[in-house]
Amino acid sequence: MHKTPLARRGTALVAALLSTTLVLTACGSDGADTGGTAAGETRTVTGGNGTIQVPADPKRVATIGNTTLPFIDMGGKPVGVTEVGASELGLIPAEQKATFEAATNLGSSGDQVDMEKLAGLKPDLILAQLPGSEFEQIKKQLESIAPTVFWGLDVEWKALADGVSAAGNVTAGLTEQKAKFKDKIAKIQQTYGQIIGATKFVNVDRWESSDPGTFSIADFGCVEIAQGDLGIDFPRAAAGADPLGWTALPFEQIAGLSKYDVITYPVDAAGRPKAPFAPVVATNTWKALPAVNSGRALGVFCPGNNSYGPVLQYLDSLDTALATLPAKE
Amino acid sequence: MTTLSLRHDGPGTATVPGPRRRVTGLVLALVALLAVLVLSVMIGSTTIAPSVVWDALFHPSADIDQFAIRDYRLPRTIVGLVVGAALGVAGALIQALTRNPLADPGILGLHAGASFAVTVAVGLLGVRDIAGYMWFAFAGALIVTLMVLALGATRQGQSPTVMVLAGVCVGAVLRGAGSALELTNPDAFDAMRSWNAGSIVGRPLDLVWPILPFLAVALILAVAVAGPLNAMAMGDDLAVAQGVRLARTRVLAIIALTLLVGGATAIAGPIGFAGLMVPHVARWIVGPHQRWIFAYSVVLAPILLLASDILGRIIMHPSEIPVGIVTAFVGAPVLIALVRRKKASGL
Amino acid sequence: MDFGRRVLVLRHRRISVRLERRSVVVCAVLALAAAGMAVLALMTGSYQLSPGQVVSALTGGETGLVHDIVVEWRLPRVAAALVFGAALGVSGAVFQSMLRNPLADPGIIGFSQGSYTGALIVILVVNGTYMQLVGGALLGGMATAVAVYVLAHRGGVQGFRLIVVGIGLSAMLDSLNTWLILQADLEVAMAAAAWGAGSLNGVSWDQVVLGGACITVLLLLAGMLSRPMRQLELGDDAAASQGVRASPVRLGLIVVGVALTATVTAASGPIAFISLLAPQIARRLTRTAGITLAPAAFVGALLCLAADYIAQHIAPTPLPVGIITIMLGGGYLGWLLFTEARK
Repeated sequence: MHKTPLARRGTALVAALLSTTLVLTACGSDGADTGGTAAGETRTVTGGNGTIQVPADPKRVATIGNTTLPFIDMGGKPVGVTEVGASELGLIPAEQKATFEAATNLGSSGDQVDMEKLAGLKPDLILAQLPGSEFEQIKKQLESIAPTVFWGLDVEWKALADGVSAAGNVTAGLTEQKAKFKDKIAKIQQTYGQIIGATKFVNVDRWESSDPGTFSIADFGCVEIAQGDLGIDFPRAAAGADPLGWTALPFEQIAGLSKYDVITYPVDAAGRPKAPFAPVVATNTWKALPAVNSGRALGVFCPGNNSYGPVLQYLDSLDTALATLPAKE
Repeated sequence: MTTLSLRHDGPGTATVPGPRRRVTGLVLALVALLAVLVLSVMIGSTTIAPSVVWDALFHPSADIDQFAIRDYRLPRTIVGLVVGAALGVAGALIQALTRNPLADPGILGLHAGASFAVTVAVGLLGVRDIAGYMWFAFAGALIVTLMVLALGATRQGQSPTVMVLAGVCVGAVLRGAGSALELTNPDAFDAMRSWNAGSIVGRPLDLVWPILPFLAVALILAVAVAGPLNAMAMGDDLAVAQGVRLARTRVLAIIALTLLVGGATAIAGPIGFAGLMVPHVARWIVGPHQRWIFAYSVVLAPILLLASDILGRIIMHPSEIPVGIVTAFVGAPVLIALVRRKKASGL
Repeated sequence: MDFGRRVLVLRHRRISVRLERRSVVVCAVLALAAAGMAVLALMTGSYQLSPGQVVSALTGGETGLVHDIVVEWRLPRVAAALVFGAALGVSGAVFQSMLRNPLADPGIIGFSQGSYTGALIVILVVNGTYMQLVGGALLGGMATAVAVYVLAHRGGVQGFRLIVVGIGLSAMLDSLNTWLILQADLEVAMAAAAWGAGSLNGVSWDQVVLGGACITVLLLLAGMLSRPMRQLELGDDAAASQGVRASPVRLGLIVVGVALTATVTAASGPIAFISLLAPQIARRLTRTAGITLAPAAFVGALLCLAADYIAQHIAPTPLPVGIITIMLGGGYLGWLLFTEARK
């Protein structure tokens, strides 16, 4: 039996706290320890875990959870990343995928990060977005490795993009992306303003995890942008309730989509229904829907919804799709 | 999972009903099954008038509501019937074979094998749809049976106790390996958490037909070994004296079991509880007579499964709960109530 | 009953301890092996450290990251593996002795399923903190155990009914767990599933000290119950003739056995198979007829530590320790079968 030496534990704790403080403050004074900060300058950024001193120009960034793809999208090159599903990876541009694959894999998810591997990479900055309770568990360890900026899952994608770009010093890419986004929104609103105002939309989806024979009326993902930034009328959950998309609906209820004017559904980059969604399109019920019969079922490509790159691709796709709508008399 | 090898000859043995009451009971069960079948076509997550249901079946047209009956409710009812019957018989077989009234058809590691094969298909081979999972699941169950037969072979031939232990071992190793794959591969995890729940929805009938011949063969085998299994219940020596060939009976029973569980799992995913509970309760009703236990199981198990499925369609409206999840919630309280009502029975 | 066995009897006032020499030797060897394994675990990691650095960190000669890695990360993990493994070993021994069945473990009364349900509710529904997770797991497990006991109680608890009720409730909880996992966001569901597999990832001194304190008390209680437990193995009547009352002892054993598993489960998730295997291996090593607690504890500790080492350093990617124990356990039993059947 191993008895825990209480006395040593006390000192260990004090030492740990001290060393954490040391690492945090050392960013300013001791450049050798934190890799490439030539002049050892620091900046202050704010995350879900408070105000953090980060290197002015971080060279070795590790990304955990949902920060990985946005950081890469803005032109960052992380040294260490956590796993991203093949289905998500398949949607990002080839050079971004190469960047992802060049980074060291630290583990499957936030709470499974191999801390020693992470420490061995000697990162000078860690960016993390994961459930708050998971972060609490690994917070101390992460912070003893490098300055860590954390965002909870409730942070909106634009705020996350701003935060990741500020902390990771990838601002150049972001400014350009933001300008394009603004133009695109304005263009769509101008071109389709009338349709948007007078049409009831519904967005349906199906995922690999969906039970066979079920689909969802999805109100999260790219459709939030169409809803929030473009003001398109999609059904949304009552305030405080779970998102509609969490409810799997049996195929029987496809018939209920008759009450909407326009249906949007997910397609891949080539415009074919996304593989998990294909069974819906194949049903007789879908084929009998008025919207489907009159060309008002629009396939839209959504490669991701938590950074500007994929969102811009989505808006392009939505733009093209809206253009095919038969004019309303 | 509990894997005890208990001997328990059924406490109801003393008050077993006579042949006439068994027949009456079976007829009542058949009537109940018929009622459940009708309800399963009538009830769903959308409200469809009985006249439309009637037309959908007998005067088909391209009406959008008729598709709901023909394309979704009818197939899932047929699938529920087939899978339920297969699981019921499989449970009766394994309980007779191991002389353990609490054995579960998955006890030989068949569910674990099917599940592991599907995990490999999703995680390593990129298979993504139910049609693809089906044959992997079937093959996984078959391979596990071969491993269990090999591991469980003693000098005296196949011993059921040793085979159950072998099933536990093979199942444990495969479950561990499966979890390892899932926890390091988000896509596989995502697909498997749904498949592992066990469901009879979204299985188009043209996917199910190819499995049926296997189930039919298994059913014939099961009936063929019912007599010898009955004799074996009294003890191996007595059975041998009556001319039962132990080794052959066991191997045939195992083949039937594998085809039944493999086929049912390939179609619906691992559905655990029905196969344990139904034959156990059937045995309480009819006593230790294999043919009667089979007959009751083949009728009662689809009732449990379809009734659970119907319940799953309405309690979480507009969503549904997979039948594999509801079955335990419907069956377990019944089982617990029954075991509490019974007089204390020795181990 | 000790035909030809050498027995040491230590007397100290009113307490006398009878120790079989072979058991003592086995325990000593196991302790040495565990110590060796612990040194190896402290030396190994994906962050390269020299043995000198490790030793100096342990003696307080290092600061910063090196100190953290050795003293705050590796050491509590090693300590947790040893303490939790011992607890699981004893818990399994208690249940196997009580139910007189070599395959019994606390899972029989639905404890693991119940604590997983509790934990899932905290992780997925409440989105709670670590302490809430511990509380949820404990509450879920205990509530299930109590429910099984109460439902199986009808003029006394009788083995067959206990098992049937346990199977029924476990099946319901399994279904509930599947459904909860199915409803959750993928990322959160995976974290919950990793907990459900049993993982020592990110174990800190807080958990080790708190868990260790509970376990120490429970192990002492188990030690006090070990003699009546051995007598109950011979049957209720035989035990009664020696003045052992079956019911209170059995209830005490259930409580201690469940509480040991509960403590480990709360801290690290349900680590499978150790409670089943450790008593078996201990019995083979000590060559005793019944179930003995101390060797089971040492085997459990060594097993858990070795499995965690494999999970962290030998598997292609780091895995929850529970995945290794379940595979090791299955493999060991399979090998046992294979060799036994051919004797």
